[in-house]
Amino acid sequence: MSAEIALDPAAMAAGTGTGPMRGIKALRSIGYAGLGMVLLYGLWWLGGFVIRSNPSMAAFADFAPGPALDRLGQMVASGEALAMTLPSLERVLQGMAIAILLGVPTGILIGRVPVLREITNIPFQFLRMISPLSWMPVAVMAYSTWDGAIIFLIAIAAIWPILFSTAAGLRRVDPDWFKVARNLGARPWHMLFTIILPAISQDILTGVRLALGVAWIVLVPAEYLGVTSGLGYSINDARDTLEYDRLAATVIIIGIIGFTLDFACQQAIARLSWHRED
Amino acid sequence: MSGAHLAVENVSHTYRRGQQKALANINLEVRPEEALALVGRSGCGKSTLLHIMSGLLRPTEGRIYIDGLKVTDPSPNWVVMFQKPSLYPWMTVAQNVALGLKFSRRSGEIATRVPDLLSLVELSDYADRNVQDLSGGQQQRVALARSLAPRPEILFLDEPFSALDAFTRSSLQRDVRRIAKELGITLVLVTHDLPEAVIMAERAVVLSANPGEVSEIVEIDLANRDDLRTPEYAAARARLTRAYERAAGIHLTEEAAPAAAAGARAAEPVERAGRAAAK
Repeated sequence: MSAEIALDPAAMAAGTGTGPMRGIKALRSIGYAGLGMVLLYGLWWLGGFVIRSNPSMAAFADFAPGPALDRLGQMVASGEALAMTLPSLERVLQGMAIAILLGVPTGILIGRVPVLREITNIPFQFLRMISPLSWMPVAVMAYSTWDGAIIFLIAIAAIWPILFSTAAGLRRVDPDWFKVARNLGARPWHMLFTIILPAISQDILTGVRLALGVAWIVLVPAEYLGVTSGLGYSINDARDTLEYDRLAATVIIIGIIGFTLDFACQQAIARLSWHRED
Repeated sequence: MSGAHLAVENVSHTYRRGQQKALANINLEVRPEEALALVGRSGCGKSTLLHIMSGLLRPTEGRIYIDGLKVTDPSPNWVVMFQKPSLYPWMTVAQNVALGLKFSRRSGEIATRVPDLLSLVELSDYADRNVQDLSGGQQQRVALARSLAPRPEILFLDEPFSALDAFTRSSLQRDVRRIAKELGITLVLVTHDLPEAVIMAERAVVLSANPGEVSEIVEIDLANRDDLRTPEYAAARARLTRAYERAAGIHLTEEAAPAAAAGARAAEPVERAGRAAAK
């Protein structure tokens, strides 16, 4: 199986060179990743074994890999997995969109105007340290729909990494790039779209990647609020109906999608980056 | 396109956090199509003066006029080339060169002008290359082509060759001078390298430091700038060196040099002996 993955053209394109050395390196890293997954599975199995051999915990036996993976297969086949995932993805994407639309321009302003940075530094650091979930009551009062409240919680969690990463990226930009552009007659929108945004694209994407991680983590508890769809709701629902195999399967789905989103971000960063490694 | 006339009137400058004036009461004229060098020790304010002339920096006092019009802002009509090429790494060579045309709504000229400029700087085969793949000298050539794209009347050079190796530097010095003469561009060059000033400029303004003031203006009248073994070149270089020494209050001349070198040599064995004793 590992040999098949090593020959995957996408995996080959991600590297810089070709040849047997690279192939061996790729095989080795896949081997290590596989080993890590086997260890994780082993721990899970062990947990299931302990639960099963303890009569007082028998009710939780379905947490074990066997029943959970069976249930996961059924959920994927029946479309239940997709049905619970899509609303969650939609909420995360909406929250992320708001965080990007507010975070990137604010980050650019803060990075470019030193006075604004000084004014906002302490208030923003203060706000950043407040757990997004502590806004829950406020969100519930402020929004007429549960969906609105959840999207707000995701946005408020995701905005900080984007904002700070954008501002920090801009402060690192070579000041000569601005001088040259001004000298060549750049107007403010040229400066923004031709110089600033490409110069800090990698910082913005790194911020987005961090933010997506935070948003995905906040999503599940946020979906405990009122709504009757999504992964967080499904977790709660499985707990209430004592279907622990469904609960474990949902946890796996959350993990797989979170990992995939992060991987996609990482690939986008590598592909769009103009930075040279050496 | 023809070179512009530039006048510096009573320019003084103090940096915001500076204790002392960086420049004091500079008056200067650059003739159309002339090549003028600003020389002096580090800290004499020559780069500051260049930034003020180009409109990138506003002087605390005084005015700059280019062809009779007061300079308040930078403009693609007078372009600065910096010590670093400062190319945009997310653009190809051709995109970098085209930037000034794009900014000044002359995108229609890009298709014809960019290949011309690349051939002028001998980089025709590199149009689609990433600028990060180029050597330092090639990058500086791209920066030159980018500066020339908006057809400037004045080209300001802020020590743009100082980071290059001797061979690349000398070929770029000749090329920039040749191109400026061909296109009739006024050239203002900041350098601390006296041979560079002699090779490239017809006049050198020697600045003294603390505060930066015009100490002397040296005429460099060379019929042939390609042959550096002529007596005229040696004489011009010697004249400029003496003016530089007077402005800086130091001696670089041949009489002083061997004595200093001998002193350094004499000091060395003593220090070694000291180290040996310490071991």
